[in-house]
Amino acid sequence: MSDNIEFLNSGPLAPFKKWGTKWSLWPVHLVTACCGVELAHAYASGYDGERLGSLNYGISRQTNLIIVEGAISRKMARVLRITYEQMPDPKFVIVMGACGLKGGIFWNGYHMVRPSDVVPVDLFIPGCPPTPESLLRAIRSLQEKIMSGEAKNTIEFREFDLSSVEGRSCPALPPTTPKVIAPTPAIKVDVEREVEWSFGKKLVKRFEKELEGLYDSIKITGKNRIAISTDRKRVVKIAQILSAEFDHVKNVNVIDVPHERSFIVEYHISSYSVRELMPVVVNIFAKIPRDDPKFPSLMTYWQSADYLEREMYDFFGVVFEGNPAMGEKFLLAPDTPDFPLRKDRKIRDECYCMEVKE
Amino acid sequence: MSEREGEREMLLDVPVEPPVEMFLPIPRRFLEDAYRNDDYIVLVGPQHPGSGHMRIILRIKGDIIVEAIPDPGYVHRSMEKLAENRLYIQNIPLMERPAIMDTGNVTLGYVRAIEQALGIEVPERAKYIRTVLAELSRIGTHLYDAGILAVFLGHTTGFMWPFALREPVIEAMTRISGTRITSSFIIPGGIRRDVPWETLEFVRRVTYVLERRLKGFEKIFIKNPSVIARLKDVGVLSKQEAIKFGVVGPFLRASGVEYDVRRVEPYEAYDSLNWDVPVADEGDSYSRFLVRVEEIFQSLSIIRQAINELRSIPEGNVISPDVLDGYEEASSDIRGYFYRVFGNLVLPYGEYTSLTEASRGTLLYSIISDGESNVPYRVRVVTPGWYYLKGFMESLRGERLADLQAIYGSFGYFPPEADR
Repeated sequence: MSDNIEFLNSGPLAPFKKWGTKWSLWPVHLVTACCGVELAHAYASGYDGERLGSLNYGISRQTNLIIVEGAISRKMARVLRITYEQMPDPKFVIVMGACGLKGGIFWNGYHMVRPSDVVPVDLFIPGCPPTPESLLRAIRSLQEKIMSGEAKNTIEFREFDLSSVEGRSCPALPPTTPKVIAPTPAIKVDVEREVEWSFGKKLVKRFEKELEGLYDSIKITGKNRIAISTDRKRVVKIAQILSAEFDHVKNVNVIDVPHERSFIVEYHISSYSVRELMPVVVNIFAKIPRDDPKFPSLMTYWQSADYLEREMYDFFGVVFEGNPAMGEKFLLAPDTPDFPLRKDRKIRDECYCMEVKE
Repeated sequence: MSEREGEREMLLDVPVEPPVEMFLPIPRRFLEDAYRNDDYIVLVGPQHPGSGHMRIILRIKGDIIVEAIPDPGYVHRSMEKLAENRLYIQNIPLMERPAIMDTGNVTLGYVRAIEQALGIEVPERAKYIRTVLAELSRIGTHLYDAGILAVFLGHTTGFMWPFALREPVIEAMTRISGTRITSSFIIPGGIRRDVPWETLEFVRRVTYVLERRLKGFEKIFIKNPSVIARLKDVGVLSKQEAIKFGVVGPFLRASGVEYDVRRVEPYEAYDSLNWDVPVADEGDSYSRFLVRVEEIFQSLSIIRQAINELRSIPEGNVISPDVLDGYEEASSDIRGYFYRVFGNLVLPYGEYTSLTEASRGTLLYSIISDGESNVPYRVRVVTPGWYYLKGFMESLRGERLADLQAIYGSFGYFPPEADR
């Protein structure tokens, strides 16, 4: 068997095989992230990638090229590897976009993997996103690589000797970070604001009557925005009363306040069925202790909160009691560190450094 | 007989072990239940011909889908965490990445939350140009989704047409902002640069080109009997269901709810322009597609009106003086003004929630600021894809397996947008 392969790759027929591979580079449909937009353009009528013998195809077993389009997450890395293993030899990988190259804009994200750690890469295309032209250029470059056996840069930049540049009298220092982060800030989600909104004032009066004894405060935090402060024991009762008119959840949010040892859990609710309530977003929030992160799930009243609650469990580990899917990872890969959005889970900070030439 | 029964009981333990290696997020009892009832479990994805990746775990009786469980997160790029570690202004390109073809709308949402916090009034000219950019993005996204729908249906011509139609849209965006797709053109207080009159005139001409060519697309794809046969009466979401599952945008309007953030809570120049909200009652895949096609025509009309209005607004003033804060050389200091003005942006203390009608539906940004740091304390983004995922899964219930692709395509579900 290996003799046959040897014969194919270096025997008298080898040039024909290479030629055949060169004009039939079929990328598998593995649109991993947003660069797929430009990939689609490269194969549509505007740029017509098919004239290079390259055609997108759905099944990995009949393709020989992966174009990794941008960011690869931890969850996707496995899929990328499986797809790569499924493809017959000879196979090639082109990585498109800055995220695939060095992480790009997501370089310090907790869910990111570099494609070059997962599969062997033939060519990188920088850009965010690279244009269809550069993708087609990469395919041409890959074809040349198949014929000649070595990958070449398509652009060679001229090198300048910076040491001879005049005008700098003292050695430059690396710039300091422009970020200012308060160590223990006070977090308040219901800062009251004065707005011209007479309907809102009426609404607040109505809520005060309907929710008697269930809230700590009801405030107008902006035009069309109301915040109701409560605690986790009484929130179910509030949901029961308000769900008659407010029929969907716009947002479930958790804010981690480690220095106060608490989480703030927010439900933003709004209405599709009552016309005058359509623009109104009511924020029901409660503080819960950080060492006992439990909150009643409001899924019984608002089905639309389901996935949002599961996502918040993934991010913060707040258990929404009553949601049947609690305790399972939903959005994140199983090998991701637990609860990555908590404030004590740090990600790498950018550092500003300079190369000093001796 | 009883022996066979016994065998079956023994066999139960063997195949129902959930393959943990495969990251299957389904409970064991789900597999056991399916096995007992002689149902199939079919995994669709994550590598499939759509745009972006997700896995749908289907439980199938015969070829009828009994239950659909989503497995999203293949494109989860930890955006919310990263946003907590960057300056407010650095987050604009980050927040553009969920849906780069929809650049106008997604950045607009984030920027509006900041403007709401700082109480900035945007100059009139910037408002109209933002509207033009947002509507161009909307047209581009709807065409993109139409192309992906065609890929799902195996209709290659239907893929080529909308992507050819996208080219003039992208050309218009390039002339406005300088890049094809990721423009990051909208900034707190206005827009990056003023758009010269010739460019606006070009955009106006593009709208006529699009309108004419859309007629051709209508013949070849939209009114094509085979397309209608695939999409009609498939994946129906009734009005009650759509409301219950919190579906958004054109998909909600296709189920008969007249909800459009541009109407309900007008922003930019939408309340001074004349346009309709297309609504359908059927709630099936075809009406979800038709509503978006109709929105393209509405967007074209909005762009023309906005450009007509722009004729009478003098050029030059496209960034609010509140944000420049007395820095008068801003227009000449192209390299330095951006960092000087926005580098140390601090929002006042509190929470700011903005709603935007992105192409695929409501987009919510909630910024929590502590009033001291120049990075946000927390940014919450809920994208349209994430909202309607639940409705999408529920609409699969009771449909045939072969219709899955049609329903998937009709929702225009774009995982990079949903997973953030």
